[in-house]
Amino acid sequence: MSKKRKRAQSPFQLAFRRFLKNKLAILGIIVLVIITLGAIFAPLLTNHDPTYGDLLKIEKAPSEEHILGTDGSGRDNFARLLYGARISLVVGFSAMLFTLLIGVVLGALAGYYGGHIDNLIMRLADLILAIPFLVLALTIIALLESVTVTLFVTIIALTTWPSLTRIVRGTFLSLREQEFVLGARAIGASDFRIIFKHFIPNAIGPIIVNATLMMASMIIIESGLSFIGMGIPQPTPTWGNMISEAQNIRILQYHPEAWIPPGLGILLTVLAINFIGDGLRDAFDPKSNRR
Amino acid sequence: MYKYIIRRILVFIPMLIVLSMIVFGLAKAAPGDPFTGRMLDPNIDPEVYEQQREALGLNDPIPVQYVNWATRIVKGDFGESMYYKGRSVASLVWERLPNTLYLGLFSLAITLIVAIPIGIYSARNPYSMFDYGATTFGFFGLAVPNFFFGLVAIYFFAIKLGWFPSQGTITGTDITGFQEFLDRIHHMVLPGITLGLAGTASYMRYMRSEVLDVLGSDYIRTAKAKGMSERNVLYKHTLRNAIIPIITLMGFEFGALLSGAIITEQVFSYPGLGTLFINSITNRDYPVIMAITLLLGVTILIGNLLADIFYSIVDPRIRYD
Amino acid sequence: MFKNKYGLLAIALLVVLGLVLAACGDDKESEDEPGVEEENKGNDGKKEDENADEEPKSGGTLTGAMYSAPAGMFNPIFYEEAYEANILSFTHESLVGQNESLEFIPGLAKEWETNEDQTELTMYLEEGVKWHDGEDFTADDVVFTYKSIAHPDYVEAGGIRTAYVQPLLGYEEYVNGETDEFQGVEAVDDYTVKFKFAEPNINPLYYASFTIIPEHIFADIPVAEMPEAEESRQPGKVIGTGPFKFTEMVEREQYVLERHDDYWQGAAYLDKIVWKVVAQSVMSGLLESGEVDFIADPNGIQPADYDMISALGNIEIIEQPDFGYQIMGFKHNHRTADDVESGAINPDNWVPNEKLADPKVRQAIAYAINREGLIEGLLYGRGAVLNSPIAKQFWAYDESETTNYTYDPDTAKSMLDELGYVDADGDGFRENPDGEEWILNFDYPTGNELREKSAPLIEQMLEEVGINVNLRQPKEMSAYVEDLTNDNSDWDLYLIGWSLGSADPDPTGLWATAAAYNFSRWNNPDSEALMQQALKAPEAFEQDYRKEVYKEWQKLFSEDLPAVILYAQNSLWAYNDRLQGVQPLPFTMYNDPHLWWVSDAE
Repeated sequence: MSKKRKRAQSPFQLAFRRFLKNKLAILGIIVLVIITLGAIFAPLLTNHDPTYGDLLKIEKAPSEEHILGTDGSGRDNFARLLYGARISLVVGFSAMLFTLLIGVVLGALAGYYGGHIDNLIMRLADLILAIPFLVLALTIIALLESVTVTLFVTIIALTTWPSLTRIVRGTFLSLREQEFVLGARAIGASDFRIIFKHFIPNAIGPIIVNATLMMASMIIIESGLSFIGMGIPQPTPTWGNMISEAQNIRILQYHPEAWIPPGLGILLTVLAINFIGDGLRDAFDPKSNRR
Repeated sequence: MYKYIIRRILVFIPMLIVLSMIVFGLAKAAPGDPFTGRMLDPNIDPEVYEQQREALGLNDPIPVQYVNWATRIVKGDFGESMYYKGRSVASLVWERLPNTLYLGLFSLAITLIVAIPIGIYSARNPYSMFDYGATTFGFFGLAVPNFFFGLVAIYFFAIKLGWFPSQGTITGTDITGFQEFLDRIHHMVLPGITLGLAGTASYMRYMRSEVLDVLGSDYIRTAKAKGMSERNVLYKHTLRNAIIPIITLMGFEFGALLSGAIITEQVFSYPGLGTLFINSITNRDYPVIMAITLLLGVTILIGNLLADIFYSIVDPRIRYD
Repeated sequence: MFKNKYGLLAIALLVVLGLVLAACGDDKESEDEPGVEEENKGNDGKKEDENADEEPKSGGTLTGAMYSAPAGMFNPIFYEEAYEANILSFTHESLVGQNESLEFIPGLAKEWETNEDQTELTMYLEEGVKWHDGEDFTADDVVFTYKSIAHPDYVEAGGIRTAYVQPLLGYEEYVNGETDEFQGVEAVDDYTVKFKFAEPNINPLYYASFTIIPEHIFADIPVAEMPEAEESRQPGKVIGTGPFKFTEMVEREQYVLERHDDYWQGAAYLDKIVWKVVAQSVMSGLLESGEVDFIADPNGIQPADYDMISALGNIEIIEQPDFGYQIMGFKHNHRTADDVESGAINPDNWVPNEKLADPKVRQAIAYAINREGLIEGLLYGRGAVLNSPIAKQFWAYDESETTNYTYDPDTAKSMLDELGYVDADGDGFRENPDGEEWILNFDYPTGNELREKSAPLIEQMLEEVGINVNLRQPKEMSAYVEDLTNDNSDWDLYLIGWSLGSADPDPTGLWATAAAYNFSRWNNPDSEALMQQALKAPEAFEQDYRKEVYKEWQKLFSEDLPAVILYAQNSLWAYNDRLQGVQPLPFTMYNDPHLWWVSDAE
């Protein structure tokens, strides 16, 4: 019985309660949910195909049929905005998940076993950290003949895991010598069990916080690369691609409906995720004053 | 200390070698070479390009090409650009490096001048109107993609208001001296702010929380209890302690700043290393790609090293050996 | 503790939203602006009349713009890009030029004659022409220029213009180092030069039209070192005979040209021409503010910006067809992996592409493409439909007997139906006559915005007639051309664009069976025979003869269809109306720039 009571007050649940009290974080969640719903139910919200171009309707101003007008290929901007949200969210989320996977596995291996494994993994991490992310990513993207969402996500994950790995490793290293771990080991618990029962739950806070913030920066990275034409290529709708078309005074000046919405889309999504991330950080580490 | 520095450098050398091999391999594995993209003029016999490929050694096996390249690098020769005919890579990089460096330093200066005072002020008056304003700015600064901000800035400040130029680094060839300096600054304002925006936001948040941490710590409370004035406490103890992580952050982030310049330079067509890098990638100008990657790699290393050294100087508790 | 922060954020969000709304509202008013000028379009380029009675004035500076910086090679025999050409067009000259009907006209050579079988061309040079450094221009400079291009080290040093010397007598011997004497170009005296061809040449003046470089500057520099030499790169050191000297630069940003006072046709009116490198995105703003006076090659202004820029009021736009065109090619054949490995282009080994083997299928596809729509929509009407792969400006263009594929999806459908390409399994797409899946792979490169936009639109058009098109991700140009050349792949449809010269309409470079640029791997013996016939001496000395042959060839092309010619975009060159004396030619705006002047000169 007493054991159950203790469980009820696990740090995770405490954190969750603190999180719920954080209004900004809740606002973030609401915004993110709205954007996600918009992306998921895009086909219900618009009956335009985001890749269908109509030669008779190039760069048209907003009308009832095209509430945000059309782009330079006669495609509906509103449909592209909604479907573009899919790409941004999918890229952000799956890149984060993929990075998380690599980062946590390598970080756990390095932090738990130490020694040569640790050395090897950390040298690899140093190596990747020694090249500016964009330089590495751009070189790999140039290598590929054509960029798809999957490839793009993989590239981002393969070039960003080191920072997360370092965090996980650091937490693990500090846990390694703690008494409850030594105890678990003494009673013959397997490495796997120790990692999952004792290490991961204790490192979960920083991992979740960093993963969330990472997702935000990945959305920015994706749109930035698409913007300079090195990301996911047209005709796939992405917010970066949409803004990229605005590199022209004509569109900047006469068609703000074409580029401001995707810009705000990125801004709001990233803002929402950052709010959530900060909320999580405050929740897991109540002493922190960072905002 | 010296031992530590030497050891760090020694560890870095093999890393640099592996790094150069990876980037070289990647660049070479990419389809196309410096000639494929341009061989589209029916008046030019493709055989000509084949001869030039042969002359440049592009038909050799990749490991041979790597060894040839590496041997030259060891002698300090970065080779010749394959796209910019007759130009040495060193001269190309040298021509662009100052522009990017100035831009980087300028944006860093803006960042520090804005971020540190605001961060301190916010921390001293937490939860005031000002603090909330700064926090809001911080959130937006981190969430706005810099290319979007750059476009908006071009639209408002260059096109609508005409306050700042949106292109290039200088107005004309006929101005010199202090005028030229001012002109260059004038040209750097928009790209500088764009590049520095995210940094400003994060340094500001960082500064605020560091100062808050220090202000809340025991020894400051003791100092206050002993009757030291708030001002004194702030400048004698707090800042010194709060600034250490900022400097460290700078050391680690300078490389990131330079690579962030890639996109910003693109938005403002600013002739720096970033635009050169993008061009070299599209033109498959291997020697230039390699040189820039190595240069940035070394910059990052030096940044990290300087940060470590600085850390040990301002905080005598830290000892490296 | 977050109460206030929350409120402030909400305010901030409102501000941002308000801004958007304001911007949208703003838009409503200004939206009409570009359209307003529609009625004025009739008198394009003829507005300069108001200043017509004014006398040209000396002085003033003109600012030109280009979208990309020159690579920095200001030596005519080594440069490659249009950006350098922007500068070299003002600083260097050739023996002959071309007029508006594309006939060769005197330049540095005042007259010329050919012998009976057109194996020798004798050129008589202008006397009294001075290089920028004051030296005299003589026949030795001409010989030196051609000798440098024919030099054994030329290609390895990075030169690509060997096409100009290849037909000259003794080229092989000279380039292989068998002799030190180049027979092809000979100085008879100081002002007479003789070009000798190995075989009778149908267009000898073309080969004599290369830009001349000064011998006295380059004589001591080995050809292999010319590209690095300051004389090829540095302002002040680059010497030509043109009306302007290249005097200063801020590399990648500004290139300054100043008047050459001793110019042989009389000193230019303008003091200076300053070239600035600016982003395409801000071009129209700079034209409006007068920061930039003109923009021409290689890109000009965008078709979409035409209305906006002509509405500015102070800008003249020169609109004329370009010599190049965009195509959608059909892969008739593929090369084998072995040939790709060995680099051989051997039609005997080619593997036919069954999916597109029937000319009727290709014709049906051509009918399904709305070329007029692409021009109206994507090009805003600033382009033309071409029915043959020869530019309309050429005497050789003749569509009288070509099949002109005017957009007709119904014809396309019925043709495919007749051929047995019908939707057998009800998936909405046609299968081939054997009832098997029939999917056409469609590839295209990045780099040209309009071409990139056209690909998905063409895919749509083809799918509307029931053709299953697999539009693949675009590739970057370097990678794309490699795949296009290698071609041992599953490619069926591809996009590419050609920018062609104004010298001669001969299509062999692109469409001869063994031509490297014949990416369709089109192998038609009749076409081959016609193309050879059009170049055969002595009959081909007569233009009318060639015209007849090309007429037949164009007919054949349009029936066998190695490619659909999608559109020829018009070049749109814009200049501020303070600039006077512009006499554009079909291929350039920079005609006689020494006669340009600005109305506000002091």
